[in-house]
Amino acid sequence: MKIRPRFFIGGGLIVLAIGYLIFSSIRTTSEYYLTVPEVAARESELGGQAIRVAGRVKPGNIAWDPNSLTLKFEIAPIPDVDAAGAPVVKPVIESDPASFRVVAAGEPKPDMFAPGRDVIVEGKLGPDGAIAATQVMTSCPSKYKPKQSQ
Amino acid sequence: MPQLGNLALAIALILAVYSIVANIYGARRNAPDFIVSARHALWAMCAMVTIAVAVLWAALLRSDFSLEYVAAYSSTTLPTVYKITSLWGGQQGSLLFWTFLLSIFTSIAAFQNRRRNPEIAPYALAVLAGVAIFFLLMLNFVTRPFDLLATIPAEGSDLNPLLQNYWMAIHPPSLYTGYVSATVPFAFGAAALITGKLDDGWIRSTRRWAIFSWFFLTLGNMFGARWAYEVLGWGGYWAWDPVENAAFMPWLVMTAYLHSVMIQERKDMLKIWNLSLIGLAFGLTLFGTFITRSGVISSVHSFTQSGLGPYFLSFLITVTLAYTALLIFRSKQLRSPAEFESYLSREAAFLFNNLMLVGIAFAVFWGTIFPVLSEAVRGVKITVGPPFFNRVNGPLALGLVFLMGVGPLIAWRRTTTSNLVRSFAAPVALGVATGIVAFAAGLRQWYVLTAFSLAAFVLGTVLVEFRRGMNARRHMVSELRAKALVNLVAKNNRRYGGYIIHIGAIIAFVGIVGSSFFRTEVKKSVHVGQSFTIGSYTLRFQGLDEADTPHLESATARVQVLRADGREITVMSPAKLFFKRPQQPATKVAIRSTPLSDLYVVLAGIDDSGQTATFEVFLTPLVFWLWAGGLMMVFGTVIVMWPNVRERAAIATALSRSSADERELIDAAPGGD
Repeated sequence: MKIRPRFFIGGGLIVLAIGYLIFSSIRTTSEYYLTVPEVAARESELGGQAIRVAGRVKPGNIAWDPNSLTLKFEIAPIPDVDAAGAPVVKPVIESDPASFRVVAAGEPKPDMFAPGRDVIVEGKLGPDGAIAATQVMTSCPSKYKPKQSQ
Repeated sequence: MPQLGNLALAIALILAVYSIVANIYGARRNAPDFIVSARHALWAMCAMVTIAVAVLWAALLRSDFSLEYVAAYSSTTLPTVYKITSLWGGQQGSLLFWTFLLSIFTSIAAFQNRRRNPEIAPYALAVLAGVAIFFLLMLNFVTRPFDLLATIPAEGSDLNPLLQNYWMAIHPPSLYTGYVSATVPFAFGAAALITGKLDDGWIRSTRRWAIFSWFFLTLGNMFGARWAYEVLGWGGYWAWDPVENAAFMPWLVMTAYLHSVMIQERKDMLKIWNLSLIGLAFGLTLFGTFITRSGVISSVHSFTQSGLGPYFLSFLITVTLAYTALLIFRSKQLRSPAEFESYLSREAAFLFNNLMLVGIAFAVFWGTIFPVLSEAVRGVKITVGPPFFNRVNGPLALGLVFLMGVGPLIAWRRTTTSNLVRSFAAPVALGVATGIVAFAAGLRQWYVLTAFSLAAFVLGTVLVEFRRGMNARRHMVSELRAKALVNLVAKNNRRYGGYIIHIGAIIAFVGIVGSSFFRTEVKKSVHVGQSFTIGSYTLRFQGLDEADTPHLESATARVQVLRADGREITVMSPAKLFFKRPQQPATKVAIRSTPLSDLYVVLAGIDDSGQTATFEVFLTPLVFWLWAGGLMMVFGTVIVMWPNVRERAAIATALSRSSADERELIDAAPGGD
């Protein structure tokens, strides 16, 4: 198939434009997808960076104000589980696993929000060490997780 | 009974293997008996898979919880219609359903080609059987639908409440039909490469299959969007979730393919490109299943994750490598003597439209797999959300819409400047006028102004095309306007059906732009009797009604909607549902849809006293147009697919001539240029 050189120029320009759009947009719209321990490890470099944090709602210290639609809670690491769903006992016992305060303002409380449930928090880590969340999403209920062998 | 299902799947696998061997042997040794026998084996395979499906359906309807699958995805209280749709509610069932569709389509292709395409058909059927073998291997050994439970539970754990919705009843079958039917043109493309019969025979033989596939991919995407809009309760219909992207990418590539094959049929160009596109479309259907089932990419949608991922990935890699090797092996024969003559030609417009469509597909692919790539390369998972997809695809969509207007009006080969001015004067004027009116009406975003102007320009070009065609008819046969229009579309259904699809796409595009740029949102907690406003509406919370059934508990809010002058328009009833098994809350959205805008009310929370409720309300302009445009696209596709007597006659004549004559014949047909 012969295509005259100028078609290469036209086609090439389109391809370049698409490439540039992808490249520039990736840089400005990327969010770090992290677990709670990863946030703790990278705390210093995350200021102002959009992050998505997967963690578990810590029981206690949950406050919901329906008038201002503000939800405050703490997010803790999701414990590792083995294939059978039992918690993995780590050789080194950590004294207190890192957790972060989350403040989600202006959003209704998600349907399935409850202590002990896994959530994904989208937002930014503030200078006070709390995550200012723009969105809190609950993960699917346990039934839709991989089936556990009995 | 479950044993019957297992047995049927095992026999189906053996038949599929036999069919490959017999087809290839028959084709190589020129032994027609073997080819007939291979065809019969495929039909028998289809019968076996049908038996397996019937067994599973019967078990679902009888609530036979000795089957693991039935216990996991159904229950005695599940309404019958959802017992039927539970067939594709879980992984094993949906793979069985996929195989079922594949075996039906394979059988139909075998029937259609019992005398046609004697050189490539046996290989195409062998490829189809090969794909069936992969799925049957999965069903027989990896994810078995007829596995039994050691202890039979008294009750099943029910279908996910979010899936108990009529859109979800029809969305997966549509999407699967679109996915699976793309296998047929792929198989014929592969067969053309294997045999070296590289003229456009494989394209012509599977043109209807490609449109059929595109039709169902369109429906599947539309139904999915509609489901998300009505059920998920976030006010939107598309979130660029990996699962949505997986359904969108094959649609984009099939759209590109349907356009570029026209260039090959007319100009004998772009052979490698077309074969690559159909290979890509097929690969993307496998990729879609891979990412939704493997859990490699986290999605908000929940799917049963399983060990199926590596198998799909291996199959995908094998197919890709084999197909690419074939393309390279035949690349010399695929070169075309014809060449592009001018930028101002329809083939150039089609070529650029293809680049845009594949570019969008690539951007979507890149954004979807970016978390995996970034984790592999930089050790940190970086996700890109809707802003990425909107920023990249927004400008590309404008380019695509522009080409949609240009393509149909310029001639094949080259266009003279005077021709250009004559054709485009009216549509350009219409576009500019629309832009000015929109500006005067207060719209200021450059994207919206450009989008609306381009949309009007494209509508103008389509109208010019219809008028041209009608005038030509009335000149020749002196018909009334209405009759001329009907005859024009009926006699040139492929062309004018295509234009109707374009109109639908433009209407949908306007809906997407309007709903993306002008959505307003209000979140408010109110007591009974209090009210709040959104846009020109006032919403008053009148109270809660609670109900309790064996299946679910519900709390329904009564929300009175008032116009600015205080007149009541309607009372809306958004609700919170609490399903009892599995224990899971859900939201029932109330939507009041008008062509101008949708009022979308979500009951986001209630306090224990039942006196205070939190509402999330969206006012979304033009979202109605998206569904209307979708319907129009469906209508246009039906016209394109409608059997055309003249086209059949042309193909029959052409089949007895050489391919060069054939092209002239089609070129000479009225309405062809």
